[in-house]
Amino acid sequence: MALIEVRDLDKHFPVRGGFLNRVVGHVHAVNQVSFDIKRGEILGVVGESGCGKSTLGKTMIRLLEPTRGSMRYEGQDITELSHAELMPFRRKAQIIFQDPYSSLNPRQTVREIIGEAVRFHRIVPRDQEEGYIIDLIQKVGLRADAREKFPHEFSGGQRQRIGIARALSVKPDFIVADEPVSALDVSIQAQVLNLLMDLKDEFGLTLMFISHDLKVIEHFCDRVLVMYLGHVVEEMNCIDLQDSASHPYTQALLGANPINDPSDRRPLTVLEGDVPSPFDMPPGCPFAGRCPHQIELVPMRADAHIGIAPLDAGPSIQAIRRFLGQCMQEMPPLETYVEGHRVACYAVDAEAVGAAASR
Amino acid sequence: MIKKFLRSRGLRKLLSNRLAIAALGVIGLYTGIGFAVFLGAITEKDTEARVWTDSYPGYPHHQTAEKRLDNCEVILSRVMRVLETEGELSEVAFAERSVSDASIEELTQKVQAGLALYEEIADTVGSLNDNPEVLPRIEQLEGFVDDVYTPLTGWSSLVYDFRLFFGTDRQGRSILIRGIYSIKVAIQVGVVVALIAVLFGSVLGAAAAFFGGWVDHLVIWLYSTFSSIPHLVLLTLLAFMFLGHPLETTLIPLYVAFCLTFWIGPCRVIRGEALKIKELEYVQAATAVGFGRFTILWKHILPNTSHLMFINFSLLFIGAIKSEVILTFLGLGIKDGASWGIMISQSQAEVLNGFFWQIGVATALMVGLVLAFNILTDALQDAFDPKHV
Repeated sequence: MALIEVRDLDKHFPVRGGFLNRVVGHVHAVNQVSFDIKRGEILGVVGESGCGKSTLGKTMIRLLEPTRGSMRYEGQDITELSHAELMPFRRKAQIIFQDPYSSLNPRQTVREIIGEAVRFHRIVPRDQEEGYIIDLIQKVGLRADAREKFPHEFSGGQRQRIGIARALSVKPDFIVADEPVSALDVSIQAQVLNLLMDLKDEFGLTLMFISHDLKVIEHFCDRVLVMYLGHVVEEMNCIDLQDSASHPYTQALLGANPINDPSDRRPLTVLEGDVPSPFDMPPGCPFAGRCPHQIELVPMRADAHIGIAPLDAGPSIQAIRRFLGQCMQEMPPLETYVEGHRVACYAVDAEAVGAAASR
Repeated sequence: MIKKFLRSRGLRKLLSNRLAIAALGVIGLYTGIGFAVFLGAITEKDTEARVWTDSYPGYPHHQTAEKRLDNCEVILSRVMRVLETEGELSEVAFAERSVSDASIEELTQKVQAGLALYEEIADTVGSLNDNPEVLPRIEQLEGFVDDVYTPLTGWSSLVYDFRLFFGTDRQGRSILIRGIYSIKVAIQVGVVVALIAVLFGSVLGAAAAFFGGWVDHLVIWLYSTFSSIPHLVLLTLLAFMFLGHPLETTLIPLYVAFCLTFWIGPCRVIRGEALKIKELEYVQAATAVGFGRFTILWKHILPNTSHLMFINFSLLFIGAIKSEVILTFLGLGIKDGASWGIMISQSQAEVLNGFFWQIGVATALMVGLVLAFNILTDALQDAFDPKHV
């Protein structure tokens, strides 16, 4: 059984405006997201800025209240729990933040930052607290005397380690790592990632790793969710990422990644246009307006007004869907093509995905 | 908590600022004096005691011959009046300086001789001030005064000189004693008003920002309402409300009036800051741990607005002292006793006659305290603002 099951999760933020401050609409940050996280795995979430990946992460540990949908943690639905009922879950699910500067209270010492949660959840008896904190500080790679210092006395990487120690202090099972390395220097990024990897094994953690860097995800995660404008457009194993990525958006993301091999030259796919506004969502696939498949189809659709020439050529069912502009009208469902690989695109061939997987 | 404060970066930065140290020294001096007065070093009775003649200019006793002459005349004729009407000689005593215990005849003789000498000098033709010959005779006249009023010796003479340091006001009360006593009044008003207003405003502001919804609406409504009433109108209204009330002569109407209007400043500032802080990630981390809303408000939000509380305290402290002076000058503030406001308002007539000692002392003492606090506020702002490197 999966540790976490998310079903049809929606998170919409009301937008108020006008003289009476009425709700004039919603920002659709997370839409109809469903996935599972197995115990002990690292699930990566990737997407560009504003695609709702952080919102998803924060909703997962109920820092934000979901608008609709359900989340089950060890089989228990946590979306409807009250503050008091949520306590056992709070102990088990923690978060590591992106910005190491705003994630630590500047007026607390490291001991207070870490000890506060330990005491609150009575993780260890009072007399062992000091030793527990020292142990934790050393595990994240800081010196024991760091516990009397204030956050401003540390560098960004060290602060991130304190943030990690805080998340670990309650002995959680599940941690949402919300872009934990994107604010750090590249040299520090690797250190923190390795630390996370070590701690994951040591504490038996399940991680949800949010990032906009496919390289980091590929290196670090077992599985990846690709998000675009609040929708999960593809879910796959990280091992096949390069070869079997099927959604045009994932392919574009991969294509935008620089390859450090001068001999390996591929044509650069550059996406045109902008991300649609999450306030005014297009009816169909949110990616349709920028989709290379669609753009390629525009001349064909012009033909359709005079005749049905392309149909005579005996096209596949997907081609007909594309041709009729179905992606513009409804969101393609996330379909499982191979075990562990789901794609939400009408243009994707089941055979092609299967073939890539078998390679 | 205190240990943490002593180790904080803000305090270190504050202490490395020399101007701030000087300001702290001045404030410490004022506070020390204020505290000594509070403990009874100077009582209200001392501020009311007649010390010497009306409008007697003080140190450096730089007085024109004419003033010295008038002074002797005032004193001698006052004693004369008592002797003629066979009244109590203690009535014309000046604080520690009482009429000498010589016999009535002897006294009468001396006073008469003195007054005769006065007439003689006063009849001198031309301006006395430019006539050097008059000076020895005036000194002789002053000798008569010293005969009537036994000169003090030792410690009591020092104390008496201290009281006369800046002279006396129109009622013969010591200006210096009144000025010093007013330090206590000013600090009392400043501390009480600033403390209550800052605490009330901060808690309200932080709660408004953190809980949002109807709490926020209520607080905003409250402070918009209060700030739309002109300050002075509200204070006048309150002065009127307390008219004839037993508390009228105490400082309480002033406290009420100031607290009612002053809490708005800190409330707005802290609400704004708390709105920002509550979105920060350490607050989210605290939520993720499972802390209740009050714990988060108390441990994560309020401490991080403390620099604003410090600054607002010091701003309101100055504001309260200045407003006290202004209101008292207008007759709406402190009703009796001594305060810088009362001193300034009483010196109106004196200033027109060229007697600036009272207004000078009151203003100088006030400027010293207010300036020191202004400098300290600036330094606090630099030192405790977490964004300021």
